[in-house]
Amino acid sequence: MPILEFQNVSFGFGVGSDKYPVLTNASLSVEENEFVAIIGFSGAGKSTVMSLLAGLQTPDQGRVVMHDKPIGPPGPDRGIVFQNYSLLPWLTVHGNIELAVKQVFPKMSEVEREEHIQHYIDLVSLSGAEWKKPNELSGGMRQRLSLARTLSMKPEVLLLDEPLSALDAITRSVLQDEITRLWEQDKRTVVMITNDVDEAVLMADRIVPLTPGPGATFGKSFDVHLERPRDRATLNFNPEFKHIRNEVTKYMLAINAESKELKVVTDLKLPDVQPISLDKAHNVQVNIV
Amino acid sequence: MERFKYSLLKIINISGLTFLEPVVRLCYGEEPRLQLKKIGRFIVIPAVTFMIFIWMWSIIAPVYKTKSGEVPTPAVVYEAARGVREFHDRETDKQTAYSLDGQDREASLDQVQEELKAITAEKVKADAEVMSAEIARKAFITEKLEPLKAEYETKKEEFLKAQLRRDRALKIKAAKVEKGDLQGKNNLLGYVRGHQEQTAAELDELAELKTEQDDVRNLNYPPLLEALKFQTDVAEQEQYLTKKEEILSKSNRSLKLDEEEDKLKQLQRQYASATGPDLIPIAQQMLRVEERMNNISSSEYAKPWTLPMQIARSVACVFAGFFLATAIAIPIGILCGVSSTFMAAVTPFIALFKPVSPIVWLPISLIIVGGIITDPDKHWLMVALSEMPLIGWLQINPAFIASAITVALCSLWPTLVNTALGVASIDKDHINVARVLRLTFTQRLFKIVIPSALPLIFAGLRISLGVGWMVLIAAELLSSSEGIGKFVWDMFNNGSSETFAQMFVVVFVVGAIGLLLDRTMIVFQRLVSFDGAPAAI
Repeated sequence: MPILEFQNVSFGFGVGSDKYPVLTNASLSVEENEFVAIIGFSGAGKSTVMSLLAGLQTPDQGRVVMHDKPIGPPGPDRGIVFQNYSLLPWLTVHGNIELAVKQVFPKMSEVEREEHIQHYIDLVSLSGAEWKKPNELSGGMRQRLSLARTLSMKPEVLLLDEPLSALDAITRSVLQDEITRLWEQDKRTVVMITNDVDEAVLMADRIVPLTPGPGATFGKSFDVHLERPRDRATLNFNPEFKHIRNEVTKYMLAINAESKELKVVTDLKLPDVQPISLDKAHNVQVNIV
Repeated sequence: MERFKYSLLKIINISGLTFLEPVVRLCYGEEPRLQLKKIGRFIVIPAVTFMIFIWMWSIIAPVYKTKSGEVPTPAVVYEAARGVREFHDRETDKQTAYSLDGQDREASLDQVQEELKAITAEKVKADAEVMSAEIARKAFITEKLEPLKAEYETKKEEFLKAQLRRDRALKIKAAKVEKGDLQGKNNLLGYVRGHQEQTAAELDELAELKTEQDDVRNLNYPPLLEALKFQTDVAEQEQYLTKKEEILSKSNRSLKLDEEEDKLKQLQRQYASATGPDLIPIAQQMLRVEERMNNISSSEYAKPWTLPMQIARSVACVFAGFFLATAIAIPIGILCGVSSTFMAAVTPFIALFKPVSPIVWLPISLIIVGGIITDPDKHWLMVALSEMPLIGWLQINPAFIASAITVALCSLWPTLVNTALGVASIDKDHINVARVLRLTFTQRLFKIVIPSALPLIFAGLRISLGVGWMVLIAAELLSSSEGIGKFVWDMFNNGSSETFAQMFVVVFVVGAIGLLLDRTMIVFQRLVSFDGAPAAI
């Protein structure tokens, strides 16, 4: 039974004739403890999908449900990791996590809370940086902190909104491995948004492409049957890996090309006007300069 | 050692005293050439320009002569500052003398009497010096005057003779002119005119010689000036010592109390021995003496306002106004930032009242405060404030409150606008975090909104304090509220060359205090700013 579902969701920005449709009739279901990667071109509406899942936005039509109930306002049961970290710069590493923990587990005793916070700091290998402020951390460390903050809320579903796209290639691969390791240790449902096919194949159980906007929808999904743990060094020679990667890439290019083709619109209404010949109109003078 | 260096550098960075950084680095031998270059640029060059300024000032100032004397040179201003300082020290000294009692008083009295003896000797010396300087000056002047006088006399005689000669010649010429000789008459007219012009020119020359003599007579004679200054100093010192002696002996508080107590004891004895209707007048007298004793024991030396006290009162006033402004501006600013409806409601008021000058606010607030506190001596607030331990001596009165309100009204705008901006421009990501954590409105306000707006709020506060300090001096000047502004006004009305110089002292005092206030705010601003952006200088 799916834990998260998109049921014929449509969503757009603006009103009336200025309305820009972002998603049209998008449907998706995510099983419990599944790692789903949503992949799409920039501007396709990936972040909108995330906002809808988190509850930061509500759909115009259709439903986003969790456990068969429409999701309400954002809450700690759906932990989200934002692309640009969203850390509070005036709080330390410890303080950022503490704010979340205090809010989500108000009944925790002080000793328990300290242990809890320290556990997540250690988990993302930020030990030693507890009392540093975000602007003293590197980009990778900031994203680790953001991850630790979200994980410390013990969310049922983890939503990762392009968590690694602001990082350099090396930090990115380290964090990919780290996130996968964390997920394997402590299985839970993960929805990750990415624009990197390799990343999706390496990390996810299932890859769902998002067709290019406007009016994007979910495309055909690809299951990844690679064994875990996946080793990045040997994976490049794995025929299954290469196959899926090529399939997904081909599919993505195809839908992109399709979206760029000139479309013949047949049901376009033309105004009912008749041309007038100027030759026969006596009262019209044409001055040729 | 390295740790110490880095904490030192951090302190320098936070306090904004960045010109000290190369000095510290040089002490640790870090890239000496670069550091020397920086020291040259940030310490030596400003010092040199300041020296040039002082030098130019001392050259240009004496050129302008005003009715309050010459524009004071740096040396005169320095001397005036010392005078201000000395006045303050002496008054403080008298104040302590008034409340001394027992052996301390006696010891102090002995010392003063000794000093008085010494100063009397000094005075004789000073008088003698002035006398000899006057004689010396007279001799000096006479020596210069003699040749001028002689020249004047000779010229005068010479001119007189020449005039007589011209008179005689004219008479002879006139006798020669016939009745119908038009040409001759015309010529004669010319001669007469020439004679008159010549006479006038001669008189001018004589007058000029006379002024020259006067100039010499009024010539400054430096030794005499010095002697006179010394004499004044000694006289002032003597006056102060005499007054102090009087305070320590005749008008000392403990002595007066003793005197009254003796009277009381005597009355008590009389009361014990008296009977019948005689008792009542004695009892009344006893009560009167007791009341007097009460008054004496709570009395203080009537110390006049000195500049250091006025500075303290001004600083207290600016902070009173500043805190009032902060208490108004930050809540309103936050509301403006949170709610655009509220912002729309408040915008007309901000736009309308922001440009109003302190000169307009002051009389209004003076009248309003005067209307609320009709009798300052009895009003509960005034009484409560005058009995507060640390600020009691500031003598907070309606004028003080009106000045503080004026400061608040003029200085709240930068804080208000900055707070509204800081709250309104909060990062959308931070709001998302608040939504995911399901923070309540108050939690959101205190955990997300205010912390993220703090750097801008403090930037606003810093501007507010600067504006407040500028406004305050003008407000004090107009409201006659004791403080730096009042000091300037008093000095202006005094109109002597000494008070003119003291106004220059105030310029530096006001500047230095303003600088200090600004620096303090910069430190606060840096402590709350999290993005590592350096505050503007």
